[in-house]
Amino acid sequence: MIFWEIAKRNIRINVLRSSLAMLGIVIGVVAIASMGILGNSLVASVSDSLSSVGDSVIVTPYSGGGGRGFGSASSSANLKITEQNFQQIKRVAAPNVAIPIYQTAEHMKIGVGSDDIVAVIYGLPSDDVPDLLNLKEGVYNNGNSGCLIGPTFAKDHNLIVGSRISIGTNGDKGTLRVTGIIEERGMSFDISTDSALVVTKEWFENTYNRDADYDEVVVKVKDGDTASMKIAIEKQLNKRKDMKIVNVMDSKATLATIYSTFGMVTTFVTAIGGISMVVAGVSIFNVMMMSVTERIKEIGIMRSIGTQKKEVMSMFIYEAAIIGVIGSTIGGVMSIMAGYAISALILNTTKHLFTIANALSVAEGMGFGIVICLACGFYPAWRAANLNPIEALRHE
Amino acid sequence: MSEQPVMVFQDVTKVYPLPAGDVTALDGVSFQVDRGEFISIMGPSGSGKSTLLNLMGCLDIPTTGDIFISGTRIGDMSDIELTNLRRDRIGFIFQYFNLFPLLNIIENVTFPMMLKSQKAVDPEKGKEVLRSVQLDDSLFTHTPTELSGGQQQRVAIARALINNPDILLCDEPTGNLDSKTGAGIMDLMTELNRNGTTIIMVTHDPHIAEYSRRTTRIADGRIVL
Repeated sequence: MIFWEIAKRNIRINVLRSSLAMLGIVIGVVAIASMGILGNSLVASVSDSLSSVGDSVIVTPYSGGGGRGFGSASSSANLKITEQNFQQIKRVAAPNVAIPIYQTAEHMKIGVGSDDIVAVIYGLPSDDVPDLLNLKEGVYNNGNSGCLIGPTFAKDHNLIVGSRISIGTNGDKGTLRVTGIIEERGMSFDISTDSALVVTKEWFENTYNRDADYDEVVVKVKDGDTASMKIAIEKQLNKRKDMKIVNVMDSKATLATIYSTFGMVTTFVTAIGGISMVVAGVSIFNVMMMSVTERIKEIGIMRSIGTQKKEVMSMFIYEAAIIGVIGSTIGGVMSIMAGYAISALILNTTKHLFTIANALSVAEGMGFGIVICLACGFYPAWRAANLNPIEALRHE
Repeated sequence: MSEQPVMVFQDVTKVYPLPAGDVTALDGVSFQVDRGEFISIMGPSGSGKSTLLNLMGCLDIPTTGDIFISGTRIGDMSDIELTNLRRDRIGFIFQYFNLFPLLNIIENVTFPMMLKSQKAVDPEKGKEVLRSVQLDDSLFTHTPTELSGGQQQRVAIARALINNPDILLCDEPTGNLDSKTGAGIMDLMTELNRNGTTIIMVTHDPHIAEYSRRTTRIADGRIVL
């Protein structure tokens, strides 16, 4: 249609002015989309390092505040979960499995003459280990002299299945043989095994003289309804409001909170990017108003020879749309490049770049750019269409 | 039965309300233009010529009285209907040519045709009309700024004729041309009138008015002759 052609030609003859308006949109799209990409990549990166613990409820001794960090059981030696409490949890959790866990930090040596190191040791019932941990290699440990080790621990200390570790400052707590290496779990809400050892419950109780006073209980919820399980355990164990016994953490809800927080951060930084888009919008508005003002007489001629208001309006809307589409497309391509650079520099990886979420961020930025252009082009176009043709014809 | 007049003004008054008081630009104007006429309207500055031209071109509506274009009363028409009437029934020729600088000659001429058909049109129709106003084929793809004043006015006439209008409305068509070129344009318009085109021309130049077959004078918003 002729009005599309006129819009294109007008942009072409005012190439510098149009390019500057486009540049504003490009910057706006890049700001929005690359911030979105960064946020999404950050979430994906964190998700990678969080193990799949969405089906766990973690019970720890009540410590007053109720808060706790990833994979760290209560650090206060006197706060434990008793056997009686454990049995109550087990009954509430049935038929789901409840796993009692011991935890301590211990000195140890790997090989003769090696340096003394300190690592976390978890004690778990042998039968329950497969419910919680998967092995990368080797076999689950059933004997008292064996242990499982995390992949980071194995890598850092060059350990393989069959390697031996002396436990205690001078090996006074015996030697453990590595029977298996655990699959990488990343950060986790229950136990963080990547740099730790996992021994049998019996070895832990014998070595540290512990007797059914657990640091933590993990309930694996098969149907995924962790929220109901949390409520059920709290109802059973924290009956008295003035004397709570346990803290119960719903890993799924916690995970959701983390993602929601990241989502809010992403939205916030994207909104900051949005400010540049608003500035670009002002520039588009300005350019379109200039375009209308320069062409008042032309509009008058068009109206006088039979051009409808909506046709005049379409001509200016096309102009805004062309600036918006070209600017947004360039911005979209550049935001992928910017997202790549930011991910490489800040997250040290670009493997999360080509995801649906990032594609949506780019589409969102581009869409916003086009909508801003159209919105800012609307009033000048409306004004042009509603000029009095007689006055427009007289305009010099 | 006699043919219907292409334009009828019946006791037309146009009043502009201004803060300092109402200004009556036209006061009880009545006249009619029959098909095939060539009329010139003359009058001094401020006499109401421009107001009359705006009303004849359906760019404005009267305060009182009736205007009929080819039998259609324009007073009650919506903006869309008036615009369509201008597009289909009236051809405008301006003093300053008023071609679109972004379009080439063919596009300028076929522009009203595209408005009417709402689709791309055959450029041959434009070329045909351009040839009828004696414009050289080599100029068809040029832009208006590359043409002389006389050539631009020929293009403007071709644009006004493209939709076969009932009336050609001319506002000082030679006002921006030298006398020789102006005479050429008036010869062309005389030729168009001889071929059946109804022409209403507003001018202050008595030599130009001589080309018309009837002259109407206006003063203080009234037809005086």
